[in-house]
Amino acid sequence: MTLAHKSLFAGRCFLALMMLGIGLGQQRGFSQVPRQENPNYPARNPFYFEGKIDYELLGIDEPSNAWEFMQRGIHLQDDREDYKGAIQDYRRALELNDMENGTCQIVTAVRENFNTLDPPPCIFTLRLRLGYLLIHDEPEESVRLFREVLEIDPLRLDVRFLIAEAYEFLAEETADKQEQTELYLKAIEELRGELALTPPVNDPKLSPDEANNAHTHWLLAEIHEKLDKYDEAIEAFENYLKATRWHSDVLPWRLQLAEKKIEELRGMANSQAIRAPVRSASPARARTRAPARTQ
Amino acid sequence: MSPTLAFLKRTLPLVAGLVPLAAQTPVGNPAEFSIKDQPYQRAEKCLPCHQRQYDELRSSVKSGYRAVSPLFNGLELAGNFLNGGLLRPVYKDSTRTTLANTPLNTNLVSSSTFTDITQVAAGFCIGCHNAHVILLGDDPSTREIPELPGVGVDFRPDLIRPLRDYHFVDASGRQILPDEIGGPAPSGAQPSLGAGGITCDVCHNVTGPDLDRSAQRDGLANASFELRPSLSKVGPFPFAAPVKDNFHVSSRDPDRIEYLRSSTFCGGCHDVRVPGGGSLTHGEANLNPGSENVTLYRLENLNTEWLSGPYNSSDNPFGKVIRCQDCHMSLYPWGGESTYQVGDLTITSPTPGVFPVNFAAEPSGSTDLDYPLQKRQVATHYLTGVDVPLLPTEKLRARLGADYQDVNEPGIDEHGVPRALAQRREDLLKSAVRLSLDKTDPRAQVGDSFMVRVTAVALTGHRFPSGFSQERTAYIELTVKDNNGFLLYQSGYVVDKPHPETGEMEPDGNLDDEDLEHVHVIVDPGRLTVPYEPGPANNGHTNQVFEVGPDNGPEARVFVGEPLGLVLWRNELARIFLPGQSVGRKDDRGNEVIASRPHFEETFSAGFANSVDNYRSLAPLRPTTYRYEVKLPKKKELELLGVELESPLHIHAQVNFLHFPPLFMRFLTRTTGPDGPAGHDMNLIDEKLMDDLLVNVKNIASSDRTVDLVK
Repeated sequence: MTLAHKSLFAGRCFLALMMLGIGLGQQRGFSQVPRQENPNYPARNPFYFEGKIDYELLGIDEPSNAWEFMQRGIHLQDDREDYKGAIQDYRRALELNDMENGTCQIVTAVRENFNTLDPPPCIFTLRLRLGYLLIHDEPEESVRLFREVLEIDPLRLDVRFLIAEAYEFLAEETADKQEQTELYLKAIEELRGELALTPPVNDPKLSPDEANNAHTHWLLAEIHEKLDKYDEAIEAFENYLKATRWHSDVLPWRLQLAEKKIEELRGMANSQAIRAPVRSASPARARTRAPARTQ
Repeated sequence: MSPTLAFLKRTLPLVAGLVPLAAQTPVGNPAEFSIKDQPYQRAEKCLPCHQRQYDELRSSVKSGYRAVSPLFNGLELAGNFLNGGLLRPVYKDSTRTTLANTPLNTNLVSSSTFTDITQVAAGFCIGCHNAHVILLGDDPSTREIPELPGVGVDFRPDLIRPLRDYHFVDASGRQILPDEIGGPAPSGAQPSLGAGGITCDVCHNVTGPDLDRSAQRDGLANASFELRPSLSKVGPFPFAAPVKDNFHVSSRDPDRIEYLRSSTFCGGCHDVRVPGGGSLTHGEANLNPGSENVTLYRLENLNTEWLSGPYNSSDNPFGKVIRCQDCHMSLYPWGGESTYQVGDLTITSPTPGVFPVNFAAEPSGSTDLDYPLQKRQVATHYLTGVDVPLLPTEKLRARLGADYQDVNEPGIDEHGVPRALAQRREDLLKSAVRLSLDKTDPRAQVGDSFMVRVTAVALTGHRFPSGFSQERTAYIELTVKDNNGFLLYQSGYVVDKPHPETGEMEPDGNLDDEDLEHVHVIVDPGRLTVPYEPGPANNGHTNQVFEVGPDNGPEARVFVGEPLGLVLWRNELARIFLPGQSVGRKDDRGNEVIASRPHFEETFSAGFANSVDNYRSLAPLRPTTYRYEVKLPKKKELELLGVELESPLHIHAQVNFLHFPPLFMRFLTRTTGPDGPAGHDMNLIDEKLMDDLLVNVKNIASSDRTVDLVK
């Protein structure tokens, strides 16, 4: 192989890397080119910018598409604490980026004209934010939105945790004991699904962690406790302690509390005593994730 | 000389120094000029007349350290491991070809315009760090950094040297290399021209912006300026005195002078656009004819941030445009303070744009015919930023010369500026941000949640942090305690722990080498494979471990809108894995995880990213309130704990600055270590270096408040 051929080959390999790995960037125009002169306004390519941009930098007088409504909603939610206004904007954005009415699509493959996806991809930030704001008033709708997020990106972390919280909230609200148990079991299934997404690597040469996802284990423990499943609750609290061993927690007192709970639950399990489940968790509380050894 | 002319000669330079420049947008490339060429000079040549400037620049990281920085060298190597050596420069005599099979014999700095992505990649990092050295490389007799013998599938990761290996010469000026790849400085080695990095002859040889090499034709990013080594040096003064023996002449070209004095000049390098497939979330057209297919994504966005911000107008507390030079080449933050209002906040902070009055050159013997120099407003050349060397002084001196300053050099200079780089950096950081807890809920109740509100405002001309803001990190450390000191909530904390991946098997008592607890990541360093193939499969850059941590503020706040967890001012690189691509780790059954849908995930490699969020950092002069919904334990839980809370609650918030994220340092340690793609140690970074030199700056701003506790 001559040097020229080798270089050509190397160049082609690089091109392949660029196309497959770094990502399909040869742009021949965008499906929308709004405010392109503004470096702070990201023209979709092919995905939306998922996240938050300081609203005043965007130069939006009045939102005109799903992404702009979402950005204004974020501004209202985060900067003004105007949750009603945010929900309104998110709902409007959702109408314009909806799987059911065909205004957005779930991307399942890299096809021709990938850069100009039409309809555009469904936005996950929008669904997560709206779902979170509705979790108390419309938990079923929250679950629906979070499930759409999993359709968009099944590997996204923390989404199944949010679904579990919504189920937990529904369970707290119902007076029907059987329905409550079913909802708790659904929450447990989601939490197990969340844990499966990031299993510990179990490689002491790489990481000392024997468990991770501390807050998932905590919520799992609390739900098991409510279902009087003491052994499962103990196991979940133990996993919580393993997960926080090298990472502590934002609510550090929970470390000590977990130890106390394990002690208490062991006593309950041993004596086969039947006690009423400990009532507690509101979704907001559960989301206030716990702490530990402060450094 | 008439009295009027003499008056003008004395006063015009002073007036010119005082007049703030209006915001500018370059409109064209500089006109050609004819003046005698002069080879690039070492800074030492300028020393006899400009001792002050030499001493100041010598203690900045821009001059010298940058070229030998283990982090810079490691990052550049990591990029080459991933893409097969494409970041190394090519020169005029290269036989390589572009993707379009045309000759590839120009690089990031020497290309007159870009028609192919490989031109941008060639010399990509070193093109800004040592632009003049890359230009000199077109002549084999002055070439310091060689072209690689093979790239792509012919790349030999086991043979590539760190760039800093090339920055040595012997006593006769001939290049010498360390005996081993990445080895210590050879005996008797002296620093090469390139070891000096950005020295006098880079900035003062610029002629103007090069719009043809700037993707947006704005003169920003990727060394988009014109460099012409000649006798004509440009300074900030329109009427500079004639130089003794015509060692150089001082340019009187007003456009050239204006360019040197503008922020656009700094933006020639302090915006960075990475070549590759471009961003998958931020399409940006390349405006240069013929460059349409040369796609880039914005990495460093510093100058664009300034352009979009309040300091690029008179609509700021100082009522005038504040340029880069007004903070980084002035007496800032040691030149006095101003008090002003930003939103609800009354701020007292250092005043930008205060320059020392001094001679621009040694007052005796610098000018032709001993023309008398006047004192006038001059620029300092410390160019202080947020970095300090990650090399011990003895190693810096071995590579950069015995007179290289210690970062903790004692004393202050004649203008009252600390000589110690570490102190200058700390003082600068302490001027960058202010906090307030005033909007926090006034009372809290046991078993209930209450809202802590931290309002933060950056006082910088750009976002904070900026520059390589995907690794530069500032964050809020927040604690809530009861009156007895019982810790109820913490965010922005770290935990001492083992790091077996880099040989730290037990906690070592050092917290500065610990990551924040919002996410747990270990990045795959790759491994030596024969034959070599570009890409992440063997060369790493994917996340081997990627888990949500207990202080998961960044993702929860941005994507979900939850008022919880860490407030992290660090921009985020992301990799969007497309359907069918491996994310680089195993699932709970031990199978490779393959994305079935587009999967967004934070990455710590700029070379592997295809999306970037440059809005995580704190916006300048825009008060931003962050909420923390803090849930207090219930009575029953307190009983179980045996704790009784006492009012009031004490809330403390402070801003800390991280040198670099330890996980990023550990990735570079491993990828340039013996088990990385080179198969041998490049001697750049290890745990000891992190323990010795990775020093974070804590409490650069703070606020405290008490809240009544209702039981």
